[in-house]
Amino acid sequence: MSGVITWLGEWFFWPPFFQLVIAPGLVAALVIVIFILWFERKAAARVQMRVGPYNVSPRLGGALQLIADLVRYSFQEFIVPFTVDRAAFITAPLLLLLASMLPMAVIPVSPVLPYSYTWPNIMKYNLLLALALTTLSPIFTVAAGWASNNKFSLIGAARESFMVTAYELIFVLALLSTAAPVHSYDFVKIVEAQSTWKLMALLNPPAFLAAFIATLLSTSGFPFEIPESEHEVVAGPFTEYSGLVYGVEMGAAYIKRYAMSVLMALAFFSGWKPLDPQPGAGVWSGYVAPLVVVLIKATIIMAVISFLRAVYGRYRLDQALHLAWKILLPLALLGYAIGLVYGYLGVL
Amino acid sequence: MASGELKLSGWEVGEVRRLPGMDVKKIGRDLYEIFIGPQHPGSGHMRIIVRLDGDVMVEVDPDLGYVHRTMEKLAEGRSYIKVIPLMERMAILDACNITLPYVEAVEKLLDLEPPERAKYLRVLLCEINRIASHLYGMGIFGVFLGHSTMYMWPFGDREVFVELAERLTGARLTHTYAVPGGVRRDVPDGFTDDLRKAIRYMRKRLEDYRKIFLDNPVIRARLEDVGVIPRNLAIELGIVGPNLRASGVEYDVRLIEPYEVYDELDFEIPVFEEGDALARTWVRVEEIRQSLRILEQVADKLDKMPREGVMHDKFWAKAPKLYKDVYAREGRVKLMPLFATLRVPKGKAFARAEAGRGEIVYYVESEGGMTPYRVRVVSPSFRNAIVFKYIAPGHRLMDLPAIYGSIDYFPPEADR
Repeated sequence: MSGVITWLGEWFFWPPFFQLVIAPGLVAALVIVIFILWFERKAAARVQMRVGPYNVSPRLGGALQLIADLVRYSFQEFIVPFTVDRAAFITAPLLLLLASMLPMAVIPVSPVLPYSYTWPNIMKYNLLLALALTTLSPIFTVAAGWASNNKFSLIGAARESFMVTAYELIFVLALLSTAAPVHSYDFVKIVEAQSTWKLMALLNPPAFLAAFIATLLSTSGFPFEIPESEHEVVAGPFTEYSGLVYGVEMGAAYIKRYAMSVLMALAFFSGWKPLDPQPGAGVWSGYVAPLVVVLIKATIIMAVISFLRAVYGRYRLDQALHLAWKILLPLALLGYAIGLVYGYLGVL
Repeated sequence: MASGELKLSGWEVGEVRRLPGMDVKKIGRDLYEIFIGPQHPGSGHMRIIVRLDGDVMVEVDPDLGYVHRTMEKLAEGRSYIKVIPLMERMAILDACNITLPYVEAVEKLLDLEPPERAKYLRVLLCEINRIASHLYGMGIFGVFLGHSTMYMWPFGDREVFVELAERLTGARLTHTYAVPGGVRRDVPDGFTDDLRKAIRYMRKRLEDYRKIFLDNPVIRARLEDVGVIPRNLAIELGIVGPNLRASGVEYDVRLIEPYEVYDELDFEIPVFEEGDALARTWVRVEEIRQSLRILEQVADKLDKMPREGVMHDKFWAKAPKLYKDVYAREGRVKLMPLFATLRVPKGKAFARAEAGRGEIVYYVESEGGMTPYRVRVVSPSFRNAIVFKYIAPGHRLMDLPAIYGSIDYFPPEADR
């Protein structure tokens, strides 16, 4: 009997499956995104003298509203207009969701792996792998806009591509500046070099600020909600979409935000610290508990991003690009220089 | 072009007659034409035809008329009192301002002057309407810029003034309060105290608006030097209201041709020189402040006045005894039956007022019957619509909502 449970456990906690499908991948992402959406609406409502979601589950403060919305979306008709490029129109949103999730598969959430599983050798470069995978998803947003064959979608897609070119370099540079001090592209080393209060975000604020704003830029967070800006381009690249697929596309932006928040939680906020799992620890204390700490930190970062919606309007496209190229890029370079100095002096 | 030249003589066999306006218009080689509206989250009841060169608008055509309801024609078949609720539909949130000149024009034809208290009550509702209208405009403006808090706050605070209007008139929006000869009813008990409370509250809130919206770096970046209407262009285009005053022209009907009791009240006309979207927003905020000042004075005045005489004596004398009893007891009165058969002497009259969005002009012509022969309206939004064509080109597409919102353009008011 115990052999069966161990076998099931080994199968369930097999990192390539567990990380992509359970946590921090699909299931955890959905739960956290739904919580964040609820939090975003509740927080904005609080600022705006409203109640926010309430009626669906009054005792939980309307927490099930998002589930109800999801159910409604999934029963709506998915309309494929005659004028679209059918294959790309249908596959782009699904690939977008998948690509947004992919970085999860290569992020170490604990130094200890369950059941004596070991990462393949290439996982020494997991920071680079994760960064490379985060840059995959925008192409599908652009593809969705192009396939829609709608003027507003096209403008939205063009805006998205402008934003992509602007933020990607900043985000990559900002995260690389955390790799320089530890002479490694391994998140485990980066996290181990930090401690509960010796955070990379405090040691290298320019890099953190650049990464944070790049996350806003990439996931249409306020004040950069530009590709989907409702009052010029309706829903941007997603104008022609309906039903569950529209929900998936809207969710994909949040999942990407979540993925980038997890990366930031590891690189700048000392990941699973204050926990310090030792080799040989069990599955729960050595693997799941550090994972939960990382997810909590990522959720807090997301909550901060969500709160900005209540405070800011949106920048104009050219202003956002100006900010990205002329202010954030030098800031990210400065952060990288600081990282190099730390690495040279061996501070960490 | 030679074969397609327009011939006014009519159809000729074998020749396709070209109709102006039905032609396919050739646009430049690298231009991109988008139709914003009438079913678009950022258009309102209108269509804006935008031609883009990259991200820059080169041509902007406001296409009006989607909510044209033939109000002027409808008015010719209705008795004088029924024209008021009809015309209110132009801007239901500005109902008293928008119909006041009509009532004044009819009064000019009837040759009667409403009693003093009625005039103060009209000003009271006009200013409540003006505040509510500006708050509505600012809320829409906020959401145009993606600022959801600035959408919710003014809409929530507007509720205060809508509520006051409801207590005063019985209706939240379409009040039909000013009628020829006076107003429909007097203020209820305790109204002026609540009004003062609302004034205090609103002053505090204007400060909050400044903090979160007008001085917000993102919003300032979006509004400063966007949609600048230079002073001479503003005069040339004939735009009115807060938009004109934001361009440095001190023109307000309350100032140049005071109606009702505006000449007895102490207030200022805020004027800004910049003429950009930010100045237009500031004008509205300052106007709300001045309206609060007017309301304060009106509240004091109403408290001091004896609570009687909201209708001209000539009409009041014809009221049934029951009406007078109820009025003495509750301070309010039903619409008097004489309005159903009101005959207005032959003549032509003209009146104007400063509505929330600018100067509104009425021309009323009577043949001596129970319905007007002609009612002509020139509404402020109609005069402001031209701004799109001249101001928006040269800006980026994302500036269009900023310009639209800052003009506070209201299609139902323009289309009539």
